[in-house]
Amino acid sequence: MRFLLRRLGFFVLTLWAAMTLNFFIPRMMPGNPAQAIKAQLNHSGHIASPAQLNALLASYGFDPHAGLLGQYLTYLKDMVTFDWGVSIGGSSLGTPVRKLIAQALPWTLGLVGTTTVMAFLLGTLIGIVAGWRRGGLIDGVVPPVFVVTSALPYFLVALVAIALLANGPHAPFPNDQNYDIGLQPSWSGQFIGNVLKHAVLPAASILITAIGGWILTMRNNMISTLGEDYVRMARAKGLSNRRIMFGYTARNAFLPNLSGFAMSLGFVVAGTILVEYVFNYPGLGHMFYVATASIDYPLLQVLFMLVTVTVLVCVLLCDFAVFLLDPRARAKG
Amino acid sequence: MRRMKGAAIAVSVGLLAAACGGSSHNSSNNTGSSSPTGGASGTVASPNGSASGGSGAPASHKQGGTVTISNEAGQNWTCQFNPFNPAVNSLSVGFVYEPLVYVNSLKAGAETPMLASSYKWSDDKKSITFTIRDGVKWNDGQPMTADDVAFTFNLIKQKPSLDLYSLFTGAGLQTVTANGNQVTMTFSDNAQTYFYLFAGQVGIVPKHIWSTGDAAAKPDTWEDPNPVGTGPFMVNPCKPNNITYTANPNFWMPGEPFIKTVQYPAYLDNGPANLDLANGKAQWGGQYIPNIDAAYKAKNKDNNYWFPPMTNVALIPNLDPSHKATSTLAVRQAIAAALDREKISQLGESGYQPAANQTGIVTPTFNKYFDSAALASSGYDKPNVDKAKQLLASAGYGPDKPLKLSVITVSGYTDWDASLAVIKDQLKAIGIDLTIQDLEGQTYDDKLFKGNFDLAYGPQLSGGPSPYYELRQLLYSKNSAPIGTDASTNYERYINADVDKLFDQYATADDAGQVSIIKQIEAHMISDVPFIPTTESVDWYQYNTTDLQGWPTKDDAYAQPAPWNYPDDEQVLLHLYSKSAQK
Repeated sequence: MRFLLRRLGFFVLTLWAAMTLNFFIPRMMPGNPAQAIKAQLNHSGHIASPAQLNALLASYGFDPHAGLLGQYLTYLKDMVTFDWGVSIGGSSLGTPVRKLIAQALPWTLGLVGTTTVMAFLLGTLIGIVAGWRRGGLIDGVVPPVFVVTSALPYFLVALVAIALLANGPHAPFPNDQNYDIGLQPSWSGQFIGNVLKHAVLPAASILITAIGGWILTMRNNMISTLGEDYVRMARAKGLSNRRIMFGYTARNAFLPNLSGFAMSLGFVVAGTILVEYVFNYPGLGHMFYVATASIDYPLLQVLFMLVTVTVLVCVLLCDFAVFLLDPRARAKG
Repeated sequence: MRRMKGAAIAVSVGLLAAACGGSSHNSSNNTGSSSPTGGASGTVASPNGSASGGSGAPASHKQGGTVTISNEAGQNWTCQFNPFNPAVNSLSVGFVYEPLVYVNSLKAGAETPMLASSYKWSDDKKSITFTIRDGVKWNDGQPMTADDVAFTFNLIKQKPSLDLYSLFTGAGLQTVTANGNQVTMTFSDNAQTYFYLFAGQVGIVPKHIWSTGDAAAKPDTWEDPNPVGTGPFMVNPCKPNNITYTANPNFWMPGEPFIKTVQYPAYLDNGPANLDLANGKAQWGGQYIPNIDAAYKAKNKDNNYWFPPMTNVALIPNLDPSHKATSTLAVRQAIAAALDREKISQLGESGYQPAANQTGIVTPTFNKYFDSAALASSGYDKPNVDKAKQLLASAGYGPDKPLKLSVITVSGYTDWDASLAVIKDQLKAIGIDLTIQDLEGQTYDDKLFKGNFDLAYGPQLSGGPSPYYELRQLLYSKNSAPIGTDASTNYERYINADVDKLFDQYATADDAGQVSIIKQIEAHMISDVPFIPTTESVDWYQYNTTDLQGWPTKDDAYAQPAPWNYPDDEQVLLHLYSKSAQK
């Protein structure tokens, strides 16, 4: 129990520290929102004085003259109360941050979340089998292939996929968007089918590049665990292969991978900017980029906060899982 | 105007696929059209339901067909259509909201009456009376009246953050009153040069919507999700990944618009946007497409493009005495003499952006104002390395004392990088060692605005229907500011009382007088070299003629052609028709 309490206390402290950094880091970037908006207005044929720029920003809830401390306290309060304000970035000026997030989050969770979980599960499974039959056919072919693909940048895989499968009038897959333009979102089979069709190529390119890492680490963990005394003991007891494979070896080999998985789950929320770019897929990764480029403090700090919170929550959950899976952690606690 | 948008990411992506490049405009990039001279004429004839002033009335066509726009938005649509929100007004003004008069920058400010059927200036040009067109309805069926027009401007007056064109602070607009079907505006000064802003750019909004509820309480931040306007299209519906506009059945021009539907997908990046244009999924583009002849034109015989030049891309020297080299005239003259602009255009911009010249006049768009004789006699019309070396020597620099300068540019604008590489080479030949500083957007803006640079590549301003608008932004002393403070648009900090006086006289001059004033300003551009134009920034524009006809072309430049040009987009949409719908 002390273990859990300590973990919780640590979680709260880290969260506060991270949120504080999230507030100050964007404000240390060069430039300020007034300049970003001024640049945009200049390019687009508007004429606005500095006083007007400030009036404009003020009406969107950003007061450039408020002190940093005041802004910080308001920020903490807003984050906790989910009162996230409106965007002050160039192309989304005035849109509530909550609406922006709500539009992008499901697509990111759907695409990146699913593929991350799939990559982890598949990779771990292949790793277990490959490690168990070390030197066998699967071990000889699958890990090397995926190690090579995981070294490819995923936008490259994505571009090759588009060139091969989504180019031209009769291509089997669409090259962009999350669903055909003109379709109305609904729970109909046609719409869901369309969404899935649009997700195939982006998901495949993430999967192909992400899976190799899991396979390799799982395989190596398996092999070193197979050399442990308790595995030999299990064999001596005459347990079934399946039981030794999953109950003895994989269960222990799996632990180091679990925290890696927790981290990568947390970063799902950050999206995959390159895949979103190439496939014109409307997710959070791309939003991150746009918010940074347009010095959109309200949107940026919420995005940062979401990543921080999910990473920390996932790591916390992972700690709890290890607590359940690993008797040694319980004993120490 | 912005040409190379997108980060290193987009650029590295572009390495692989020819169709994916790292550049283009933001959706809200509009080159403000402006009226200069045309305003002198007093009244304009009624259009007879025609859409265009310049090119003659489009013949009548049957309705039908769809046009899909490909223009990188960089972000999903927010489905806000407030015409006073600078982030989204390019999606509503033109499509849904209309100005009083359409002013064509490409045709020296040729005018087409829209919501105002005619107008009349007072003799001193301090007041103007518009006659508001009869029989115009809002797309909810209510009639549009002079009251609505006066209401729109008074709303802007009450709420300074709506005044995106500084009408009440800069242009001297004082009162706007409606009387019957007439609207009168009074100004504190001659307002001729501001005509294109108040008559040509401001979209008129309905009083019955904007005087109640959220719209009245917060007109600047109201989302306006279902815009009620008089324009040819209605939003129906908007989704984050696509806006569908459908024809407005109440539109005041009989039989218009010929096109039934406009699809405007939200492209996050150039790659997909360019691919969709090349394969015909989208027909109307405002995109920078690298290697356009192979990546776009060769893909379909009906794919066409045209890039009309509008403003200057230039080396902007820091004229403040704290920057010793660039504030020395001989150094600037040497740079201006050394540059081979033709080569910069060919090698840096693949010829898409034509070469600029030292007068600052964008040709051929503004040929009327261009003093080619003065340019020829100045010697800046062709590169002259020997002269440049002499000039540099006279400033005290030479092979034994090389001049080191740095130039700031925006990282990710790959065409600018290529141009600067050419410039660096050309300056090396005369003994200037140029360092290129690729800065990320915000840092670049900060340095540019505050005057923290030797040379800057830019300036990405918008023009108007005469060179006056761009040159005034860059050269008028009131647009400058001390080093360390954000300058409005005069980033080089050029201060010359004679030039100021010329700008002040421009408004009251007649047509010939205005041409003569611009030519005198050109003389200052040549003698003072306040900035050094290299290439001419263009409107990117692609169009496909398989099903759609009526596009603006080089020979029929009835409007600025890019989909992000507003309210010009309305003129294009009113000319377009579908071939298949005519059968």
